[in-house]
Amino acid sequence: MKLTKRLFTSSLGALAVAALVSAPACAQSVDALREAKASEIVDTAPFVKEGPYRVGVSAGYLSNSWVIFALQQLRWEASKHDVEEIIVTDAAFNPAKQISDIEDLLRQDIDLLIYWPVDDASVEDVLARAIADGVPTVQAGGGFTASDSTVANAYISQWKLGEMVARQLVKDMGGEGKVVAMLPIAGTVAAVEQLAALETVLADHPGIELAAVEYGDWNRAKAKQITENLLQRFPRIDGVFSPAGQMSIGMAEAFDEAGRLSEVTFSPGDEFNGWLKWVAQHGQGGAVTFPTKAGSVALQVGLDILQGNEVKRGLAVASEYIAPTDIGDYADMDAPDDWWATDLPAEFLPQQ
Amino acid sequence: MSALAPNRIARLRLDRWAIALVLVAIYLVGLVLSPSAFGNPVYLLNTVRQVTPVGIAAIGVTMVMIIGGVDLSVGAVISMTVVLSAALMDGAASNMPLAIAVACCAGILMGAINGALIAFSRVSPFILTLGTGIALIGLTQMFTGGTARGAVAPGFREVFNARLGGTLPVLALFLLGLTAVGLVIEKRTLLGRHLFLLGSNAQAARLAGLPVRGITIAAYTLSGLFAALAGLALLARSGVSSTQAGQGMEFQVLAAVVLGGTTFEGGRGGIIGTVIGVLVLGLAFNLVNVMGLPYHAQLVVMGAIIIAASALYGQLGGAGN
Repeated sequence: MKLTKRLFTSSLGALAVAALVSAPACAQSVDALREAKASEIVDTAPFVKEGPYRVGVSAGYLSNSWVIFALQQLRWEASKHDVEEIIVTDAAFNPAKQISDIEDLLRQDIDLLIYWPVDDASVEDVLARAIADGVPTVQAGGGFTASDSTVANAYISQWKLGEMVARQLVKDMGGEGKVVAMLPIAGTVAAVEQLAALETVLADHPGIELAAVEYGDWNRAKAKQITENLLQRFPRIDGVFSPAGQMSIGMAEAFDEAGRLSEVTFSPGDEFNGWLKWVAQHGQGGAVTFPTKAGSVALQVGLDILQGNEVKRGLAVASEYIAPTDIGDYADMDAPDDWWATDLPAEFLPQQ
Repeated sequence: MSALAPNRIARLRLDRWAIALVLVAIYLVGLVLSPSAFGNPVYLLNTVRQVTPVGIAAIGVTMVMIIGGVDLSVGAVISMTVVLSAALMDGAASNMPLAIAVACCAGILMGAINGALIAFSRVSPFILTLGTGIALIGLTQMFTGGTARGAVAPGFREVFNARLGGTLPVLALFLLGLTAVGLVIEKRTLLGRHLFLLGSNAQAARLAGLPVRGITIAAYTLSGLFAALAGLALLARSGVSSTQAGQGMEFQVLAAVVLGGTTFEGGRGGIIGTVIGVLVLGLAFNLVNVMGLPYHAQLVVMGAIIIAASALYGQLGGAGN
């Protein structure tokens, strides 16, 4: 997953991040505020058009398996509607290029713009121009963007995801023991919200000690290296909080190589296939999804705007818990690790 | 002459061993602060295993930097090798030899292309290898469609991740073996001598009739090969079959090479210094990590260690001047 979540979720406002850093309770209230803002009804009247529609997708980057799956979800959804063309651009992590990409898309007379940003602030002006041209803008898959330049969001709450993962871990540990947390890149909204959610949950369970918080950058090798050091530091580790499956596998390998896998309880990861395969083989951990169907939800929201239907400013794509006993329905043991559990039909699956 | 000779010898020796003293200093600090880790051979050898991918790539880049070049495409070559070899293995042990051979050939090809373009054009190595690296990232993405392809063959990771006698990691031996190969090239071959001659004075090398273009192509080809081997080591270490597996690794490699005493100007440095530089970075990371410092404090201390190591190295290296 690595950079995907970082950049997808960086679309939360700086204020929210600052508040989240200050205290877990504050993070919870920010989540509540976000939900309140997300429930606002959008004025779709300026954007109503007849089909067929031409959809522009401005990707902040495509070099990532989660993004590829989300994009394929979007294409699949488009195939069910009156969409004549989808034009995709790839900014390759370059904020300036993303502005040019969106300008190019607008010149191609798109009816709807779906985007995920490299940087929220950098695209705000060009998104405002899109709206002025009558093109609705929908942010796909990341955190909630409250800006007026974004008409609607199909977002995934890292707070909710973190809370679900934490509660399941606490339950699986029986409310006792020493936990280490492996988070994404420090300072990203994903890392801040997941940690705040963990601390909030642990506040209700004094029997669990948060012994260390580390940042593995969504990098399996780095997570493994850090875990090797954690194993050196702590003679006993009872639980691992790691919502990102990519890093969970690296951690599990470190525990296994140290001969200490049996002492630890793993939290759910996401539906990264390498992690799902590990869960299937070891019967613990499970998954809390970071759904790739955010791509299809974003398109549905966009089409609702174009058709003048009632649309909320934010539509949360809910994470779901998958128990280890049910993981067999999601893990593809023959697929690569860098693959995602999906309901995509064969003709829309990414190449393997 | 006789009065200068002892100073000169002292300078050469300090130049050569300053980075080793830095490594020892960091190790001793680690031993004091975390004796259970730094006094444990298993832990120390595991540190060598951790740095193996960076270390192998750094050996190749050292040869390029000795001639005054630079190779920023190593991260992209590592990513390509990881994906290509996993795709060719496709989860079958019988495919392993082919996958390894093709991955190495691909690395050699990329290195040769870099070398040829640099040797036959006036483009700066910095820009050229940056460009080929970017292009290679694109090609890798096109090959995979954005997701990883294939699966690591059974046995591949198990062999490389094994520990001989329960202590000595095979991956560390792999690094040791490739370091020996690099040293033989550097110290015992005509190519090795030519690398230093070209890096010291390119004009003089041309006038002396050295095959400058051939040496340049050879250096970059070796860098490509070592980057491919680093990719295989990374695949073995982490099992990551990701199009971004080597992303950013070129900067770790450059940091280690420069820390090890090989300069961007060329003509000086060497593989021993580079490998020690890799170990310095690895030990420094583990030191701040195993001490249990909060993440942001880890960054501060890690940065301070690198600066201090570099300053100490500069002081010791220049002491004889």
